[in-house]
Amino acid sequence: MEKTTKRVFIPGCSLSSYNPELVGKTIEYLKNKLPGTGAILKCCGKPTKALGQYDEFKDRYASLQKDIDALGAEEIIVACQSCFLTMSAYSKEQKVRSLWSLMPEIGMPEATVGKAKESDITFGIHDSCSTRDRNDIHEGIRWIIDQLGYDLEEPPHSKGDTRCCGFGGMVVPANPDLAQEIMDRRTAEFETDYLVTYCAACRASMYKGGKKAVHILDLIFGDVWTSESDFPDLEGAFDSWANRYKTKKKIEEVLS
Amino acid sequence: MQLTEKVLKEMNEVIDDCLADEPPYCQARCPLDIDVQGYITLIRDGEYKEAVRLIREKTIFPGILGRVCAHPCEEECKRGELEEALSIKNLKRFAADMADDPQNWDLSREAETGKKIAVIGAGPSGAVAAYELQKKGHQVSIFEKLPEVGGMLRVGIPAYRLPHDIIDYEYSILEKIGVDINLNTEIGKDIAFEKIREEYDAVYAAAGAHKGIMIPIEGSDLDGVLIAADFLRDAALGNDVEVGKKVLVIGGGNVAMDAARTAWRLGAEKVNISCLETGSQIPAHSWEIEDAEEEGIIMNPGWGPKVIKGENRVEGITLKKCEQVFDSEGNFNPEYCDDNLKEIEADTIIFAIGQRADDSFVKDAEEIRQVDEVTLQSQKDSIFVGGDFKGKPLLAVEAMSHGRKAAISIDRYLKNKDLHIDRENEGAYESKLEKEIDPEEPVRRRVEMRMIDVEERKNNFKEVELGFNVAEAKGESLRCLECECKECVKDCLMLEKYCDSPKALFQEVKDVGIDPLVYFSCNMCSQCTLVCPKEFELKDRFMALRKIAVEENNGESPIKGHNAIKWHQRLGFSNLFTTCKPASNNEEDSK
Repeated sequence: MEKTTKRVFIPGCSLSSYNPELVGKTIEYLKNKLPGTGAILKCCGKPTKALGQYDEFKDRYASLQKDIDALGAEEIIVACQSCFLTMSAYSKEQKVRSLWSLMPEIGMPEATVGKAKESDITFGIHDSCSTRDRNDIHEGIRWIIDQLGYDLEEPPHSKGDTRCCGFGGMVVPANPDLAQEIMDRRTAEFETDYLVTYCAACRASMYKGGKKAVHILDLIFGDVWTSESDFPDLEGAFDSWANRYKTKKKIEEVLS
Repeated sequence: MQLTEKVLKEMNEVIDDCLADEPPYCQARCPLDIDVQGYITLIRDGEYKEAVRLIREKTIFPGILGRVCAHPCEEECKRGELEEALSIKNLKRFAADMADDPQNWDLSREAETGKKIAVIGAGPSGAVAAYELQKKGHQVSIFEKLPEVGGMLRVGIPAYRLPHDIIDYEYSILEKIGVDINLNTEIGKDIAFEKIREEYDAVYAAAGAHKGIMIPIEGSDLDGVLIAADFLRDAALGNDVEVGKKVLVIGGGNVAMDAARTAWRLGAEKVNISCLETGSQIPAHSWEIEDAEEEGIIMNPGWGPKVIKGENRVEGITLKKCEQVFDSEGNFNPEYCDDNLKEIEADTIIFAIGQRADDSFVKDAEEIRQVDEVTLQSQKDSIFVGGDFKGKPLLAVEAMSHGRKAAISIDRYLKNKDLHIDRENEGAYESKLEKEIDPEEPVRRRVEMRMIDVEERKNNFKEVELGFNVAEAKGESLRCLECECKECVKDCLMLEKYCDSPKALFQEVKDVGIDPLVYFSCNMCSQCTLVCPKEFELKDRFMALRKIAVEENNGESPIKGHNAIKWHQRLGFSNLFTTCKPASNNEEDSK
């Protein structure tokens, strides 16, 4: 059985806590385009590293690496930029790929190209600061939005020069007031009220900064978004863990 | 907090090389290190008294420099890359005109030392040295050959540029602080140099370049041939000066412009200037040439004197075309075309081709000619040399800078201290700032100085420049780009909230430690690194501090809000919320 698992998709904590359906649809898409794709739901341990708990981080990451090795995957596909950096640095035996630079190579999911041509809203792109030097990811995201047919707004700080959403470095629990100021400053850069991110934590920050915000997977797999749509709120702690549990179940269902 | 050697080293890199406290270009270029940006900001805010106080921290001559400084600062002004430099000199004059008040002058002195110092020359260099040394508690005596104070400020610069009452007003600080001024006292004539050397603990020789140079061409001994230095001095002191109706000044420097404009004021009807150089090679400042031309003075660039004609008195001059002033190695080596001549009628010829200080009062001039560049000390330990006397004529502001340098040296010398340590940034130096102008910075034209009408200038020495009014000063001060680094602090809300600069912050970490909340408030986003000219990775340094804080706190973050993460991590690795699924078997079939 292991031999058939060539690669593994790791959605990451924040996306799993945000929306189990999107994780499920992503795995179905990958299954279809890239047969031999498994999945792991587990934290990479980055939060401990961000706090400076390096010893604990090593233990945590080893636990994840054990799972990857158990599946025999040669390639890791991630949807989280923080995972991308952490795994690129610590899973030396595996090739780490971002879903966002992979999509232009393997093509959009069925029936998504051009679906949003009639949408009446413009999405501002908020780039993740952790992968500010990954041009392939920036271009992949723009390619995806263009394929879908949405109009785009680039803020003054974007791509390599993007600004942090306010969530980075575990500042939200440490210094919530400052984090809020950073979120407000970031959202103030956009003219449009609608933002798209490719990190669920960034999405939450943009929401807290007063914008209507979605994850790019919402655009790909969700209905066409218009000014009439109901935009997602902030999920509370209980909902987050409930979603995480649902994601686990979803993964097991899709890959059963 | 116990900082490891590696962490300390990385923080020291920032402390040493962060540009946060690097002065702006204007200030670094100022030989007197005047806080230009500081006083311009104060003028902008209407705080004129404060502006003068700030200027006076570095010079006792705000009104003098505000009129005659050659303002090397303006050449460095970043604004010059956009349209034109700030009018720094004129803003300084404005502050002095508006708010200088002798009641606020600093006349404080350290305790009397009992040491006596002689200063030769009451010019800008000698005056600054005298003031600084008197402040240090020494007793200074100035010996001045002329009947008035000011030196070249008074007899080199015409009164229409620097009125004598301004000189007297600002020089009065010397008497107020107790400097003993001996006018009409020529060293080598009224008192022997050797006597002064013996009677005083130290000497600062700062006589000005009053001796004009003359070239022995045919006719140079005729009546009506004058030397600019003497001519300007006589005019300044109110002595009889014989100027005809048609004057030709030889020379292309600022002194030539002054001589020409002075001659015009004394009744000359036609004034020519001839100089070897052309275009930008002409040594006079461009604005001096413009001002002269405005008064009808005719420039003859590229012409050198061949012969002065006349019987007893000058009747005219033959000029020869100068084809090249400097040779290929850059040395002064003029080449003329003797076939290309030009006749100019003149009854007065004024040589303004250079001047130097008269050192004939020193028996063995060689001994005091070799001067330590850092300390201005001569081979004779108690004799210090500066200003024009050190070698070549200087700008007023440079001469003043020498005065300050000499005063530091003399004070140390009298207190048996090392003369050489910590003297790197005295005088002008290069700012390490790497300021880039904001592409959205609007163009703001430089406020031009208003002047009295040309007609009104004839036959008198009234000050030509009228000075800025309040509106003009405000408008000009608003043009300042306030060059500084601190790009990271401007960009990062966290740095802005918690520090003046990374340099100051890491110094604080080293000295007294800081609240862990500071380094736990870094988003680790690298935006600071992107805007830092030095590309400092501040996030790595903050992360290193987090690591140490955790180690010293039993492996836990010291931040209260981080408790929750502990539970998140436990759940995030628990079986309830994790799964590891291989690729499903049926997918190949479904393909």
